[in-house]
Amino acid sequence: MGAPVPNEANAEGGSARSLLTAVRSALTPAASVLRSLEIDTRMLGMLAALIVIWVAFNVLSGGTFLSARNLWNLSVQSASIAIMATGMVLIIVSRNIDLSVGSMLGFLGYTMAMFQAVWVPQSLGLGLEQPYTWVVTVVIGIVLGAAIGGLQGFVVAYGGVPSFIVTLGGLLVWRGLLFRYQQGQTIAPLDRTFQMLGGGTVGTNVGALGEWPSWILGAVLCLGIVGTLIASRRRKRRYGFPVRPMWAELLVGAVTCGVVLGTVWVANSYPLPPAVAEQYAQEHGIPTPPGGLFIPTGVAFPVVIMLVVTLVVTFLATRRRFGRYVYAIGGNPDAAALAGINVRRTIMLTFALMGSLAAVSAAVQTARLNAAVTSLGVQNELDVISAAVIGGTSFAGGIGTVPGAILGAVVMQSLRSGMVLLLVDSPTQDIVVGIVLVAAVGLDAVFRRRVS
Amino acid sequence: MRRYLAVLAAGFTVIVSACGGGTTTAAGCTIGVSWNNYQEERWAKWDEPAIKAAITAGQAKYISNDAKSSAETQASNVDNLISQGAKVVIILAQDGTAIKPAVAKSIQNGVPVIAYDRLIEDPKALYITFDNVLVGKLEAEAVFKAKPKGNYAIIKGNKADANADFLRSGMEQVIGAAVKSGDIKIVGETYTDNWDPAKAQTNMEQILTANQNKVDAVLSENDGMAGGVIAALTAQGLAGKVPVSGQDGDKAALNRVALGTQTVDVWKDARLLGKTAGEAALQLCNNSDPSKVKSTAIFKTPGGNSLSSILLTPNPITQANLKEVLDAGWITKADLCQGVPAGKVSACG
Repeated sequence: MGAPVPNEANAEGGSARSLLTAVRSALTPAASVLRSLEIDTRMLGMLAALIVIWVAFNVLSGGTFLSARNLWNLSVQSASIAIMATGMVLIIVSRNIDLSVGSMLGFLGYTMAMFQAVWVPQSLGLGLEQPYTWVVTVVIGIVLGAAIGGLQGFVVAYGGVPSFIVTLGGLLVWRGLLFRYQQGQTIAPLDRTFQMLGGGTVGTNVGALGEWPSWILGAVLCLGIVGTLIASRRRKRRYGFPVRPMWAELLVGAVTCGVVLGTVWVANSYPLPPAVAEQYAQEHGIPTPPGGLFIPTGVAFPVVIMLVVTLVVTFLATRRRFGRYVYAIGGNPDAAALAGINVRRTIMLTFALMGSLAAVSAAVQTARLNAAVTSLGVQNELDVISAAVIGGTSFAGGIGTVPGAILGAVVMQSLRSGMVLLLVDSPTQDIVVGIVLVAAVGLDAVFRRRVS
Repeated sequence: MRRYLAVLAAGFTVIVSACGGGTTTAAGCTIGVSWNNYQEERWAKWDEPAIKAAITAGQAKYISNDAKSSAETQASNVDNLISQGAKVVIILAQDGTAIKPAVAKSIQNGVPVIAYDRLIEDPKALYITFDNVLVGKLEAEAVFKAKPKGNYAIIKGNKADANADFLRSGMEQVIGAAVKSGDIKIVGETYTDNWDPAKAQTNMEQILTANQNKVDAVLSENDGMAGGVIAALTAQGLAGKVPVSGQDGDKAALNRVALGTQTVDVWKDARLLGKTAGEAALQLCNNSDPSKVKSTAIFKTPGGNSLSSILLTPNPITQANLKEVLDAGWITKADLCQGVPAGKVSACG
């Protein structure tokens, strides 16, 4: 770290520094604009990186990458990692780690699949396709997830065993239990209503909102964003904090609303596949116009689930005492304890939350595949941790945001699915993702040092 | 208690050997089996009972151990079997290359080795497996019969597994000429890490996206990945319209064959493999030369070795012959016919 640098490197370092200075002075006006917008510059950098990745893949794939269809696929493929990444942020912020999420996901997915495909219809003799099956399955999964996550959290918080060790044990135990009971068998098919959670298609039922509900969702989110901006401006005024200039406030509102409505627009410009649309038209007695029927698909259910999870976890993290405690513990555990925070209970709760989110992701993944397989969730812990870290969560604790982690998950999945689109083989994909991970965190560290 | 069990076992042996007349016997010979990972359903449920039955029928003794997916453990496990008195060793190799020194040592000590299901590159071993090239060929034949022309996607297994390439070369025998003549165009071909169905699903989605759904047939190398492929096809309303292949005889896959979303499931009856290996081991007890074992042929390996082998013929299961898996007791009718409308498939009634 503090070792003397050889001369050549010194010269190089000097020129790099002068380049940086030049860049910074060139960006000074931009920086003041950013300051008045009060936007996280890291978040902005990530968005820029995402745009570069998207444009590059789009050019290389001859325009396929940014088609509505591929973006829709991308949103569904990112959802399950993004859901777990929101919980991972809180775990890492409080200076812990959870390596067991992939194994927990496999175990929970297996349990939920067994419940709906074997226990309810066969063991209890109630038959397949009960209307309540999917709800009960999901609730049982979430409760079980919270319990096993909470158990790990209990050992970490009250047992004083490092989380790395506890969850490394969990990684082995939950996967081992899965192998022991599943014995290599694929559990399928799943409940037809449950399958909708994965965004798939069963007959003419599509796991997505459809056109108007998607627009309504977009409008509600927009109103929510505007409302939050107004409320926060009022609150700041009341306590005499500085507020953004009005133009900045309007710009932030317009841009975020634009992104939300743009996403809905993209989801709605992806039509139902011709084969599905035709069948749908027949069933509903709609005449098929020449050139085929255009039925918008809308926002996929996994994405809706991800949005709900994001809102809930963001609310917990920023507006509830629990979240404040998590960040306080991450910033300085001793100070937090001295300030009267129940550190142990808070830590345990973050793990319980992580477990229940693993259950939600397990529901999405099994529903999407319409099966529970033994390899379910293998190496997901690496994707989830990478998403959180690329999204700006710091291992030093105390720093990290939920929206950042979502963006991180989208970056990761964009790389993966873009490379598959270009038929890049999987070892090369791993190499690229690995380099991007280290580069993202490395660049971030460099810039943070420069800024501070 | 122990004596009681011994009497029971002896009685059982007599009954079994009385029934299985005509096979080789090797009284008092100990046969050791080194499993690579006994956790997997297949080995415990189908292979082991079949091997054990064949060995006890020949009045020999069965011993075994489990390497828990570790190549190092397996090497010492083989030594352990020999020191426990095994005269013949059957190995389900975790890693066909890493196990070579242990195999060579064993053969030098006069203990013949059977490479069970997976290849071990030792010219003196006896290789018993289902013909994997033939499996690939049968998969492609069924799909090719349904779609002799058009855009093909090929979903291959794990790159590090030699079987993925064996299967692919079998497929080439069927579609090679049509690819050359331009009747078949391969629009996507990918390896799949660890044969993971979820990865196969994502890969298939991307292939469909890149080709605007213009995929006419899919050659998937096994059933798990076929499940992922069919989930991706279902999302586009194409399941049942695009032929898909698979192998292994998974319950879920056989159900898909009955439902019509999967075209073929190449079935390898593990019990036949186990029985063949058990009987070959008995013959090796009496004569340790693998080439003297009944119905062996010479197999040229990718590594340039020639070894004695027994290659069993797999059985392609389509809607027409689903009855065979039912009759063999491989799957229950309830599992096979779940969700199949009455009168559609003859095996389901």
